[in-house]
Amino acid sequence: MANLQHIRRRIKSVKNIQKITNAMDMIARSRFNAAREALLSNLPYVAKTKEIMRRVMTQMRGQEYEHPFVKTRADLIADQQEGAGKFLFIVIASDKGLAGSFSSNVFKEAHDTIEYDGTGESISTGEDDGDDENFHKKNFDALKGVKPVGTRTQKQQLQVSATGGIAKATARGGATGGNVNVAREYHDADYIDGIELITVGRRATTHFRQRGYNVIKSYHGISERPQYKYAKEIADLVVERFDSGEIIDVTLIYTQFKSAISCVPDDVTLLPIITDDFAKASATLKEEYIYEPDVVKILNDFLPRRLATRIYGAMLHSAASELSSRMNAMSNATDNAQELVGRLNLFYNKVRQAGITNEINEIVGGANALE
Amino acid sequence: MATILLEVATPDKGEVFSKDINMLITRSICGELGILPKHARLLTELIPHAMRIKVDGGETQLFVGGGFMEVTPDKITILADSAESPDDIDVDRAKAAFKRAEERVSTYKSAPKSHEDIDIDRAEAALARAKARLLVKGVPIP
Repeated sequence: MANLQHIRRRIKSVKNIQKITNAMDMIARSRFNAAREALLSNLPYVAKTKEIMRRVMTQMRGQEYEHPFVKTRADLIADQQEGAGKFLFIVIASDKGLAGSFSSNVFKEAHDTIEYDGTGESISTGEDDGDDENFHKKNFDALKGVKPVGTRTQKQQLQVSATGGIAKATARGGATGGNVNVAREYHDADYIDGIELITVGRRATTHFRQRGYNVIKSYHGISERPQYKYAKEIADLVVERFDSGEIIDVTLIYTQFKSAISCVPDDVTLLPIITDDFAKASATLKEEYIYEPDVVKILNDFLPRRLATRIYGAMLHSAASELSSRMNAMSNATDNAQELVGRLNLFYNKVRQAGITNEINEIVGGANALE
Repeated sequence: MATILLEVATPDKGEVFSKDINMLITRSICGELGILPKHARLLTELIPHAMRIKVDGGETQLFVGGGFMEVTPDKITILADSAESPDDIDVDRAKAAFKRAEERVSTYKSAPKSHEDIDIDRAEAALARAKARLLVKGVPIP
């Protein structure tokens, strides 16, 4: 039979945990408000940059201005066929855990994106606790089943229609019969060699280091409160490596904040910028821009600025998502603790009552015996 | 009088200015520009300075710490690294920043070889920003 002291001790420990989760919930809540505020005040800037970007790119389409960041889809596919450079992925996750499935969702999206090539063996995919031996394979097969090109292309089209994600999906061997030759066939080691990562958040860094990826730079301690200067630093590094031709493709993986209850991992291609995607809107634009002093100088200023803006925006999205996930996780934990305490209390009282009944029975039995 | 919409946005503070104005006088990396309604499409980079905004006969100033400007016939969009109205400028801070930046620049200029740790571009940008802030406030530059 359960021992009263034992149950009391358990109730106490559950209550203590509840206090902690409750405190974490409140902390996350107040930080979340700040993060959401920051995100909201960043949105107009991002939207305006995007608007200008669209207009400039629409203009560039007709002209043959050369800029290393701007390519047509045909150029991109040719580049990837040559296999001239590496792919860079920027993964934005959190520093700390206890935020529900926030980090693992990002990693899942990251692996889906990074390892997506539709051919060959997939390397260590999966979640943190993938102790199931066959997990990788299963996961890969599932992956293959779920997104052969058709669906993937569609999904990409929706998400990143402006950035050439489709070209990548197909160029990576994704799909349609004709493009299969374009696929790079990686052996695991080669594959990892062709990939570089920049991580934001301690958890992202450890996750990818453990799996043997080449993390060229990581940022810790800024995931909850991102600052523009870090985004600028990342953008500068990306620009430098892209300019030197070491990398030919930059993808950003982060969590998009939609609302306090809905945060969706998302991947966008940052570089190169594919002009083909800007085609449709071009009919409306006939006038030419005056570039002061000249188009190259302006694009050299504007494109890195746009890059930094997008990275910063993604960091803010990720921060708001992280904190809202933590808020949800912690308030669920607090509720569960409350429920557990209730159940334990009931149990405690039952045991106590059983003890008392027992004692009375003994007394009554003893008294009866004396008569 | 004809008007043109001016919008100024910064990464941290969102849209700080959004209003129909008569004329904007601003300084790009190529020199001073006056922009009136129905201006041709233009893209340029701004240096840190105080823009002059003419509305209804009056004139207000807005400090921008560098940025990017797009002009279309009916709208001016400025993506500023930072933007402040003159009332928000902290003179003491600007003075301190001016002094710091000036020291760095002059140390570098005196012997560029031995001070390679100084990021001269950054120091000069900081100097320009501080100078522009002080100019807006009418503080004499030492």
